[in-house]
Amino acid sequence: MVGKNVLEFKGSQYMRQRLILSVVSGKPIKITQIRAKEDNPGLTEYEANLLRLLDKLTNGTWLEVSETGTAFSFSPGALIGGTLTHECCKLRGIGYYLEVLMALAPFCKKPLSIILRGVTCNQKDPSVDSFKQGALPVLRRFMVIDPGLELTIKKRGVEPLGGGEVHFVCPSIKQLKPIQLKDWGKVKKVRGTMFALRVSPALANRMVESAKGVFLNFIPDVFFTVDHLKGQAAGKSPGFGGSLYAETTDGVIFTSDCVSDCSAQSHSVPEDVGRNAAHALLDEISCGGCVDSAFQSLACLYMALTSKDVSKCVTGPLTPYTIKFLQHLREFFGLMFQLEPYRDPASDEFDQDDNRLRLGVNKVELTCVGIGYQKLV
Amino acid sequence: MDELNDGSKKSHKKPHSGRKAEKKDKKKNQHIQELTDAQRNPKAFTFNSAVRAERNFRRGQDIQTKKHHVPKVDRTPIEPPPILVVVVGPPKVGKSLLIHCLIKSFTKQPLTTLKGPVTVVTGKKRRITFMECNNDINSMIDLAKIADLVLLLIDASFGFEMEIFEFLNICQVHGMPKIMGVLTHLDMLKNTKALKKTKKTLKHRFWTEVYAGAKLFYLSGILHNEYLRNEVKNLGRFISVMKFRPLIWQMTHPYLLADRMEDLTSPEVLRQNDKADRTVSVYGYMRGIPLIKNSSVHIPGCGDFLLKDVSFLPDPCPLPEQLKKRALGEKERLIYAPFSGVGGIVYDKDAVYIELAGSHSHTKTSSGEQPVRDMVSNILESKNTLDSKIAQSEVQLFSNAAPILASEFQSESTNSNLPEGISLKHVDDNGRQRRKVVFNDDNDDDDGDNMEVDGDDDDEEDDEGIEKDNSDSDLSDVEVKKVDSADDDDSSEDDLMEDKTGLNWKSNLAQKAANAFLERQADSASLWKLVYGETKFQGIRGVRGKEEEGNKEEDLEEGLFKMVKQNEDKKLLEKDMMDLEDVTKKINKEQSRDWSQEAVRNTIKDCFVTGKWKSTEDARKLLHGDKIDDDDDDICDGDFEDLETGEKHEGKPEESTAEPEDEDKSKEKLAEKKKKLKEKFDVEYDDGKDGGDKTWYDELRREATEQAELNRKQFEDMDDALRVQLEGFRAGQRLIIELDKVPCELVTNFDASYPLIVGSLQPGEENVGFVKARVKKHRWFERILKTNDPLIISLGWRRFQTIAVYSKLEDNLRHRMLKYTPQHVACMAHFWGPITRTGTGLLAVQDVAARQSGFRIVATGTVLDTNQTTEITKKLKLTGVPYKIYKKTAFIKDMFNSNLEVARFEGARIKTVSNIRGQIKKAESKPEGAFRATFEDKIQLSDIVFCRTWYKVEVPKMYNPVTSLLLPAESKNSWRGMKTVGQLKREQGVHSQPQSDSLYSEIQRDPVVFKPLSIPRRLQKELPYRMKPKHRHNMRKNAPKLDRVAVVRDVEESKVASLMAKLKSNYKAKVRQQKREMSARVKQHRQTNHLEEMQRQRKRAEKIKSQHRKQAKKQNH
Repeated sequence: MVGKNVLEFKGSQYMRQRLILSVVSGKPIKITQIRAKEDNPGLTEYEANLLRLLDKLTNGTWLEVSETGTAFSFSPGALIGGTLTHECCKLRGIGYYLEVLMALAPFCKKPLSIILRGVTCNQKDPSVDSFKQGALPVLRRFMVIDPGLELTIKKRGVEPLGGGEVHFVCPSIKQLKPIQLKDWGKVKKVRGTMFALRVSPALANRMVESAKGVFLNFIPDVFFTVDHLKGQAAGKSPGFGGSLYAETTDGVIFTSDCVSDCSAQSHSVPEDVGRNAAHALLDEISCGGCVDSAFQSLACLYMALTSKDVSKCVTGPLTPYTIKFLQHLREFFGLMFQLEPYRDPASDEFDQDDNRLRLGVNKVELTCVGIGYQKLV
Repeated sequence: MDELNDGSKKSHKKPHSGRKAEKKDKKKNQHIQELTDAQRNPKAFTFNSAVRAERNFRRGQDIQTKKHHVPKVDRTPIEPPPILVVVVGPPKVGKSLLIHCLIKSFTKQPLTTLKGPVTVVTGKKRRITFMECNNDINSMIDLAKIADLVLLLIDASFGFEMEIFEFLNICQVHGMPKIMGVLTHLDMLKNTKALKKTKKTLKHRFWTEVYAGAKLFYLSGILHNEYLRNEVKNLGRFISVMKFRPLIWQMTHPYLLADRMEDLTSPEVLRQNDKADRTVSVYGYMRGIPLIKNSSVHIPGCGDFLLKDVSFLPDPCPLPEQLKKRALGEKERLIYAPFSGVGGIVYDKDAVYIELAGSHSHTKTSSGEQPVRDMVSNILESKNTLDSKIAQSEVQLFSNAAPILASEFQSESTNSNLPEGISLKHVDDNGRQRRKVVFNDDNDDDDGDNMEVDGDDDDEEDDEGIEKDNSDSDLSDVEVKKVDSADDDDSSEDDLMEDKTGLNWKSNLAQKAANAFLERQADSASLWKLVYGETKFQGIRGVRGKEEEGNKEEDLEEGLFKMVKQNEDKKLLEKDMMDLEDVTKKINKEQSRDWSQEAVRNTIKDCFVTGKWKSTEDARKLLHGDKIDDDDDDICDGDFEDLETGEKHEGKPEESTAEPEDEDKSKEKLAEKKKKLKEKFDVEYDDGKDGGDKTWYDELRREATEQAELNRKQFEDMDDALRVQLEGFRAGQRLIIELDKVPCELVTNFDASYPLIVGSLQPGEENVGFVKARVKKHRWFERILKTNDPLIISLGWRRFQTIAVYSKLEDNLRHRMLKYTPQHVACMAHFWGPITRTGTGLLAVQDVAARQSGFRIVATGTVLDTNQTTEITKKLKLTGVPYKIYKKTAFIKDMFNSNLEVARFEGARIKTVSNIRGQIKKAESKPEGAFRATFEDKIQLSDIVFCRTWYKVEVPKMYNPVTSLLLPAESKNSWRGMKTVGQLKREQGVHSQPQSDSLYSEIQRDPVVFKPLSIPRRLQKELPYRMKPKHRHNMRKNAPKLDRVAVVRDVEESKVASLMAKLKSNYKAKVRQQKREMSARVKQHRQTNHLEEMQRQRKRAEKIKSQHRKQAKKQNH
């Protein structure tokens, strides 16, 4: 076999993308200079945890970390899946790991059913609610029939101690189908969940009130639920937050979330948290497109791994993460996307500036031909 | 007389012919329809059974549904690659002759030598590549994987040969291409009856192998060393109208059959080491699905490679341009076969031969007709030497720049020597750089023929072309960089952008400065730049057009410096960025807008249902539109009269004063509306035909066709250079593939009659792992296969030798190892091999080297699973013996060696030979390895106790690709890999020693002594007299014997008796002592005898030795 075809990268950023693509393409990778010049050099705890998760998910994975931890070689095995349990690192949210799992789950040999424990919602990563509301529909678009994709939130937990639990089930899928998503419609309703863990439930209501105030300027159909959990289900640390989503007439869902800052020096006010979440969602709506900006890369991956057919998807402006992902897709698969600014065919009639539809920022139309990826099993 | 008179009256004669007769006939024989019962009495046959009706319906549905197949997206390219026709058959059956005849009938010109693939244009939409398959199982396997059509030649005078069945079997495994049988040597059968019979039997045998009704073609004889012309022509017609089904392997992999190969290694490297790895370029038509540039490929018979470079070439054998005419013109019947020397030039190892096609070829002056000849004649006619020509040739890089003379260029590029009479001319074709070959000769003015020449010319030309391309890309780098600097308020660049996008940039610059990032994604070029960096140079140029080229030149030098600096800056930036936190979510709080402001909020007002809608979606307008659609007549737009109320509604009168532009618009709108209506009607009509409502299947089918349409349309108008980056090199394109680090034997031992296939691998397929396959030993292979014997397997593109372990999948899903494959049942085979998709067929042979007897294919099967571990187990029975037995508890030893081992097996099930089940309880302290066990019943001390365990079997990691292409030409079909143990033993005459346990020995049995029969007394009582034992005293053991008389001795007698006894015992002791002494004597005697004998023998041997020495000395003297 070719053998020497190892892709080399530098730095710890975008490590997840590299690992995902390595596992899917079967190409070994080597990452060097991981935080080589920082005070804490080498792999962090959460990255090592991710590598362990990948090891559980696959069979025959070979991993060699250098002594200092600043470099490692990774040779992927066969994606197996199966029934697993994983204790996630609490420095990152479960969303950090779910992103990898969402990307790999459709290509597993056996149906994947995994229990993840850790922090369900933090400042950096999309919360598990966002995944449930936003990411699963993206995957569903690529399937002929929904075979029972599921994400259930058993417990919630916030930083620093976590204690949340999520159950993700993805049946095995034969092949993803190409998509043509050009219309995302208009936002018809706004929904959301506010939670208060180990703090007064009144905080959640305060968040609801402030968030609702923002949206009622646009649309009357706004409804937020309060999810107040008790005992075990509330995790181990106090905190509050919320996850909002907006659904359009074409079934596209935009998500946003916000959580209280747990650090000692700053104390979040629930009204601010609620408003921030609402504003984040407005940002997302303004970006628009058929995919939420957090899951653009996911959609790109699925588009790339369909049969040898043309897929089209209109998204909001590409995030830096997606841009890097597209570059990585080219490195791993030699696949390039056609990128065009999206022009609405019907927008010609609104010639004048004042008459033009105000749909937020410019959209991008992604077109690609799938690589004809076929699961090896 | 009366009679006479009466007789004069003629009797009436019926008319038998003529008009009247016909009329009467018609009347008489009027056709009356014979009515069936159901027709005559329809009421009796009406619907009367709901059950039957239901059954009928069900059956109808079943039949209908059976016809359904999963709709596949049609991915055939608009200009498909030539159809690959492989001619297969045993040697001396007429394969080459058939290809010769077919080519002659298609192109009207004979082929002198036939070697490798020959491509021919046969019709307006069809090209054919012929390839002969030699009698080597390697070639047969490789060609079966890529063939579209197989012409299976059968010698009718001989009948079927093993090769044919082998090939059919290979085809069945690797996806069945179309197969057409061709019977030759029919003229050898003189007897017509025999001929007929042979044809029939052969046909029916062929049908059982392929499918009933498979086409078998007869070539009845040979005339002037050729097959009959009309028969060949008919065969050609058959081939050129044939339709093909897509095969799974071919539709999931890009591949290419090389019809030309060049060695690009620099002579300097070869001079230093002629065994150095070569760089090779391979030419051919792309087949299968589009090829992506950085995929890895496998060359069957050689190995895996990474693509170094791929580029497309103009077609040397294109389809005719205009399709007006009915038949192909003489000019359009092209043929391309570089290996066979068509194209005028034959490449040999040390020379290049130019074919002149007879002595009269020079007289033809219409050089435009024969491009090939044209080129040759150009070379012949050229007066200047190559160097001088190159020095004169010039390249103009920019439209208004001074042309660069090649002599200037020469100093930089050392190896850019083009073939004589040809030079490069870069043509700016719609923004894309095309390399066009131009003849420098004066009499050359025909541009249309350059295509053919380009395909034929030397590789150096391509080399240089690539170099030039690179230089271009450098330039465009600069250009792209400039676009980047647009952010630094470079006003001239802004102008540039404005030209392109037509957006009003500056007016709202301040507002947009905040989200410059978003704005950068506003046009295609900068988007591309943002994501893919500099690489879309061609694409960008294609978008922008030419006006920029002028701008480019002036700040070229400046730009170069800028670029270097920018590159450094970029690297520094990257270094800073590379350890940032890995987050998907945008954390751009500083970028996020202040949504509390009304103005900001207004920018997304129309994103909500409450906002403004598009005209196509706006409820009010849609309602209006529906009304239009409902109306039959478009003209009476909104104009109608309510008949009930007598009210008259009048739509808005169309403004007749509209300007001509509006009129055009309205016309367009009308046309569109009509089109929509028509589409709607079509859909409805089609639905009605299919039986009312739309089914899910129809929906799937519609989706598939829509997808196919989209695939075709999406990149249709795009420039090829950009298109291949997005979609890959599609089938039908002519490619040049450059491969690096190719073993030198591929080049030095190249033989064109062996197919050189470049098969691309899907991601993941380049890896190796354990493959689990369901295999069945072929019923024509006489022996069975043994586990751990090497086997050559053909799987996917690859042929490789590996070691297989066979197993049986048991009911509890355990894979139990089998030592041998079963005779007639499928079993599992596990081996270390390339990861391949489930469901792929595989085929095994033991030896690819030419072997005359028997059927060479030993097994066939399909891949079930691939993994990095295996789970085959082998049964291992541990035995032990009880050493102490209580009621149901027993202590068992000799099963394990230590208490630790026992601890591992605590609770395991055990069993005695007599099937008494039990369980291991606990280890005993003494003896080591003994344990306590309980059983369901008391066991015997003589029992043996078993414990069944399962032992994991390792599959040897052996993967050895069959490198048959690397062998020298004479031994190409004798690749030798690892031998089986059996083969080795046979060759070296080693017999395996049987185990002593397994040997048969004489059975010795002691005669059985039965106990005397004893009948219980109670039973005896009940027995009839005749059955009662007659001698009562025998019944009891110690009963006094009745028939003996007691002897009572007196004193005298007893004295005598005691004396006699004493004497007797005295005598006995004496005899015993004598015997002991005698045996000691004998022993000593024997010892002395033995020593003497030994000495004697030694002496004798020495004597013989000395005699021999003497003799030898004598002989030496």
